[in-house]
Amino acid sequence: MPLIAKNLIAGYGGKPVLEKVSFTLEDGEILAFFGHNGAGKSTTLKAVLGLIDTIEGEVILNGENIEKMSVDQRLERGMKLLPEGRGVFPDLSVRENIEVVDAVNRKNGRQMISAPDVYELLPVLAERRSSIAGELSGGQQQMLALGIALLGSPKCLLLEEPSVGLQPDLVENLFSKISEVCKHLRVPAILIEHKIVSALKIADKVMIINSGRLVFNGSKQEAEKIDLWNYF
Amino acid sequence: MTMLFLHLVVDGIVTGCAIGLVAATFAYFYSTSGTFHVAHAGVYTFCGYVAWYCTTWGIPFVPSLLIAMGVGALLGVIIQGLLYARLAQIKASPLVMLIGSIGVLTVLQNLAAIFFTPNIIQFEFPWRIANVELGPIFLSVPQLLILILCPLLYVALLLFSSYTALGRQIRAVASNPELAQITHLRPRRMFIYAIAISSAMVAVPGVLVGIDQAMQPYTSLIILLTAVVAVIAGGIGSLTGAFFMSIALSTIQSVSVLLVSGRWSLAVVFVIFIVFILVRPEGLVKRKFSREL
Ligand SMILES: Nc1ncnc2c1ncn2[C@@H]1O[C@H](COP(=O)(O)OP(=O)(O)OP(=O)(O)O)[C@@H](O)[C@H]1O
Ligand SMILES: [Mg+2]
Repeated sequence: MPLIAKNLIAGYGGKPVLEKVSFTLEDGEILAFFGHNGAGKSTTLKAVLGLIDTIEGEVILNGENIEKMSVDQRLERGMKLLPEGRGVFPDLSVRENIEVVDAVNRKNGRQMISAPDVYELLPVLAERRSSIAGELSGGQQQMLALGIALLGSPKCLLLEEPSVGLQPDLVENLFSKISEVCKHLRVPAILIEHKIVSALKIADKVMIINSGRLVFNGSKQEAEKIDLWNYF
Repeated sequence: MTMLFLHLVVDGIVTGCAIGLVAATFAYFYSTSGTFHVAHAGVYTFCGYVAWYCTTWGIPFVPSLLIAMGVGALLGVIIQGLLYARLAQIKASPLVMLIGSIGVLTVLQNLAAIFFTPNIIQFEFPWRIANVELGPIFLSVPQLLILILCPLLYVALLLFSSYTALGRQIRAVASNPELAQITHLRPRRMFIYAIAISSAMVAVPGVLVGIDQAMQPYTSLIILLTAVVAVIAGGIGSLTGAFFMSIALSTIQSVSVLLVSGRWSLAVVFVIFIVFILVRPEGLVKRKFSREL
């Protein structure tokens, strides 16, 4: 199983925010991750990537326990994060954004996704190649952020509100790209979203967190049978 | 009178080019790492002493300059590795970093005084006072070297930033350090490269100004002040703003002796600075997405 979290307890300054968060993800599966503001969604992703120390619990990526590993080691194993808001290098052109990340990846040998693949997958980036990233529209910036997150050999995508600030039709467009990539490359993804209806369309699994505790964790079919709003 | 004016302008531009490279390299490291590296002025002075020391052993000018640049790069790496990186690890505030940097500046000045000499020193090159005639203006050879080498290095730094892989990576780190970390750009390694490059470059004005004028361990403070004012008034983090602001400030400072006593010329710089802060707080060249101060 590609990504497993077991009884994760993690927080800030030794104070736990998460209470025994556990989930599993199969190849190519998209896990929609919902919860109110401050519920612990970002904290969960930080714990998975190693940006904060876990107090207890395990994270297993493709059979390897990565719980004790540094962020860099996890990145080398193909963990990719699209961070909330600032997922691009605003002073650099689109081309430079993609080139710097591509160059770093290339040092570690052949990669699944390199610059030409990103342009093919997200044609809007090819059109705006020489624009300064900070001058792109919000939607274009999110496309670029996704492109940056995909570069390399992704083994697990952690996507933090990729649709933030996008108009509805662009959200659908971005989500269908995400779904396409996950299915095509067989990479699991965790998708933190506030746009619940759109996220559900591409999700295979659903997880809802409330004050650090998972209150729902099941398949999309199960999620569709119940009233999700009761869990917020 | 016009001759004197011209002479002062030229003098100001020459000094401005030297200070401009100090300011541009200071801005370069600041925009990359967020550290207000005032010890840069210490590196500047120390490198001047290293080159002078080399020449006392009979080493010619060019190798002495290169050795000073190498020592500068090494000093920068040591300062980043032993001080800034460790302070960053314990999440020290920018103020603590600044105080640490002032400490290093003091240490470097004192080391220069202890290792070499606290007295005023002069390079023994015979060409030091030779003059070059360019139309109506006379320049000393060291002045001419400053006028050529400093702008050249400034342009080289810009080209390096835009057209090399390493230069772009350093710019990426400056532009979004958090993203740089999670895309595996290794920001801390980039800080080392940035400080090595800045410190090697700052050795050049350090040595050339040392040859042109005389040197004392503590003279770099005035250069530092003007450079820092230029960095802020030029638009924090903008290399171009820092470089040209230095030239402007230094020229005005030089010409101001026609109106006020030379003792006040530094005050003139600060008056300009205050006017700038009031009228155009974002600086001469506004960087659109730069980090917050
Ligand atoms: N850097 C931090 N230091 C201390 N506490 C933090 C930190 N970041 C988050 N927290 C706390 O951890 C809890 C969970 O925050 P988290 O960022 O994971 O929420 P979230 O579910 O991502 O919310 P949002 O939807 O607003 O992004 C909150 O109570 C928050 O106050
Ligand atoms: Mg969050």
